[in-house]
Amino acid sequence: MWSLGRPDVSSADSVLVVDERVTGATDDVLEAGVRLGMPRREAEVLAPFARVLIRDLGEETRRFEKVVLTVEDLVPRVEVVSPGLLFVPVAGAVRYYGGEEKLATTIDGVLTKLDSEPPQFVGIADGPFAARWAAAVAKPGHPNIVDDTLGFLSRLDLETLRESMGGTEMIDTFRWLGISTLGEVTNLPRETLASRFGNQGILAHRLASGEDRALDPRDIPQELSVSMEFEDPLEAMDAVLFAGRNIVERLLARLRSSGVAPHAVEIAATPLTGKPRVRVWRSAEPLTERALYDRVRWQLSAWVETAGVVGGVTALRVSPHDLSGEGRQMGLLSDESSAVETERALVRAQALLGPDAVLQSAPQGGRMPAEKVSWSRWGEEPVSPERDEEAPWPGATPSPAPALVHSKLRPIEIEWDEGLPSRIRLGTRWEPVLTWSGPWRLSGRWWSGEKDADRFQIVTSAGAFLCVVAQGKAFLAGVYD
Amino acid sequence: MGIEGLTTGQIDLASPGVEWGDQRDLLQLRSGQVTELVGDPGSGLTRMGLGQLAPFSRSHTVVVVDSRGLISPEAAWETGVVSERMVVVRCGSPHLWPKVASALLEGVQAMYIEVPAGIKERELRRLGAIARARRVAVAMRPMGGRLPAGVAFVRLRVLGVTWEGADRGHGKLTRRRLVVEASGKGASGATRRFEVEDEGKGPLRLVPDVVTGQAGRLVS
Repeated sequence: MWSLGRPDVSSADSVLVVDERVTGATDDVLEAGVRLGMPRREAEVLAPFARVLIRDLGEETRRFEKVVLTVEDLVPRVEVVSPGLLFVPVAGAVRYYGGEEKLATTIDGVLTKLDSEPPQFVGIADGPFAARWAAAVAKPGHPNIVDDTLGFLSRLDLETLRESMGGTEMIDTFRWLGISTLGEVTNLPRETLASRFGNQGILAHRLASGEDRALDPRDIPQELSVSMEFEDPLEAMDAVLFAGRNIVERLLARLRSSGVAPHAVEIAATPLTGKPRVRVWRSAEPLTERALYDRVRWQLSAWVETAGVVGGVTALRVSPHDLSGEGRQMGLLSDESSAVETERALVRAQALLGPDAVLQSAPQGGRMPAEKVSWSRWGEEPVSPERDEEAPWPGATPSPAPALVHSKLRPIEIEWDEGLPSRIRLGTRWEPVLTWSGPWRLSGRWWSGEKDADRFQIVTSAGAFLCVVAQGKAFLAGVYD
Repeated sequence: MGIEGLTTGQIDLASPGVEWGDQRDLLQLRSGQVTELVGDPGSGLTRMGLGQLAPFSRSHTVVVVDSRGLISPEAAWETGVVSERMVVVRCGSPHLWPKVASALLEGVQAMYIEVPAGIKERELRRLGAIARARRVAVAMRPMGGRLPAGVAFVRLRVLGVTWEGADRGHGKLTRRRLVVEASGKGASGATRRFEVEDEGKGPLRLVPDVVTGQAGRLVS
C-alpha cells in the first residue's frame, strides 16, 4: 500500500481529494467528520477549510508504476487494484527470501529507496482483505506481519467492511445493535445474516472469518483474449493508445456475445527490446467499456512515459479475468459476490435435500470407474482419497470413462454364443451386440476372498456399456452416455 | 476398427450457407439461455452436457443436477470441467426437483440439469424464466419427453452415434461421433445437422467442414 503524495500540495495543507466522492483526505479533514466514500458536496460542507483536489487516476497510475515495477522485480505476479494498492501472492517468495519478515523488509527497503515518493505501508496476512488492513495499520519502515489473521480481523472496526463491500445499511444496523468489530460479526450465525441481509451478510461474515479469496492472476480464458501485433513498433503515445482502444472494443464485443463481464484484466505489451510487460488490474465492480479502456490507457501511458517499453510496442494483448454474469454486482476485489450467491443456492439445496445429496468429488486411484471418484459432502472438509491417483493402477478401465456409473454393480443379463456376447437385455427387450472389446481380467484381492472378474465394453444400437462378468454372472458397471 | 453396416448419414462436404463457426456456437452454453439436450439414453448427451460446463468451471462453481444418481464426475473431468469447481446435486424426487432447481438457478452461473419425467410444464417454464432473468447458462436433459416450446433457446438432438475402437473383442472404445440436429431460436429457426467427435479426453469437437444430410437412427 502506497500513499500517494502530490507535488502541488505541501504537507501542511488540509486536503480533500475527490472524484464524485471522497477518495482521500488528510487527518484534520477526517477529524472534521469527513469519511472516505462520502459525497463531495457533503464533505465540502464539513471541511470548508480544506483544499479540494480532483483525482487524476491516469497521473496516479503513471507515478505508481515505479512502485509496481520495483515490487515486481522482487515478487512476480503483481496485481494492481488501484494506484496506491497492490497485492502479491507471497507463498513462493517467502521460501525464496527465507521468511515473511525478510521478504517484507526487503520490499519495504527497496520502496524506501524510492525516496522521491511518500512512505509506503507493507502488510502480510492471509488473504487480500486482511493484508490490505494489515498494511493500513502498518507504520512506514515497519511492515506489519500478521501471524494470527483471525485475531487481527476480529479487532478490526466494522468500517473496514464498507470499503470492501459497501453495505451501508447493514453496517448501520450492526452499530445500532451494538456490534462494532468484525469479531462480533463472526459470533452471529451465518444463516441469520444470510436471511436478514442476503449476500452482503454472507460476504461480511466470510470476510470477518478470514475466508477470503486467493490471489490467482493466471486464470485467463485464452479464447477471449484479444491481441495485435505490429510490424513497425509503435512509439508514439497516440498510436499506442489508438491500438489499445481498438483492442478494448474488440474484447468488449467478444465479452458481450458471451454475456459476461470481467472483474480483472491483464494488459500485456511486448517492446522491441527487453522483456514483455504484463500487468493485472482488478476492480470490485464489473469493468464497463469506459472503465476497461481507462485501465488500458493508464497502463499503456505509464509504460510509454516511464520508458517501460523500449524501442516501441511490437505487440499488445488484453485478456479478461474473473468473468461473471453481466450486470451482476460483484463484491470485494474479485467475484466474491458470485461465490456467495452460489454458496447460498447450495445451502438451500442442502436444506431441501439433506447434506448427502449435495456433493463434491475428487479424483482418486482405482481400476473401476466407481472406485476412481472420492465423494465428500459439499461445505465440509473433503474426504482424503482412499487410493493414490498417481499410482500406476495396471488394468484400470481405459478412458473414455462411462458418464453413468452405478456405485454398486447391478446384475444384467447377457446371452453368450460360444463364449462371445451376442445379446444384452435392457429392460424388457433384448438388444443384439454389435461389437465389443475385452475381456480384460480384473484380479481381485484373493487374500480377502475376492474372485477374479472379466470386463467387457459392449456396443449395441442402444448405446455402449461397461459390463463385468464374475463367476458366470454379468453385471452392469457403467453406461457410455 | 470400423464397424460394418453402420450409417452416420450422407456427408455433404460443401453444404452451402452453413458456417462451421455457427455450429460450434450452438454447442456452447450461453448466459441466460437454455440448451435442451434430446436423445435416447446412451447417445452421449450426458457427456456433452457435462462438457458444456467446462468453460464456466474455469472461473465459477458449476452445478450438475443428477436426477438418477448415476452421473460420474470422471466423465466431466475428462471433458475439461475443473474438479474443484463442480458440485453434484442428487435429486430424484419430482416433488422436490422444481424447488431445488429454482434455488440453484438463483445463485449458480452454469448448470447441467437432468429433468425427471413428470415435471409440470408450468414449472419448466418458470425455471426457463429464472435462467433468463438470472443470466444462468443451462443445459437441460429431459429424461422423458421434451421441454415445452419456448423454454429452450436451442435444442440439440442426437440422431446417431458411431463408436470406434472396439472390434469383436479386440481394441477398446476410443472415439465416438454424434450426429446432432440443432433447432430452435438459437439455430435461427432452421434445422441444422452436423457431426461432433468425442475422443474421450478434452472437449467435444465439431467435425470441421462436415455437415451431414440424412442421418441414420442410432448406430454403433
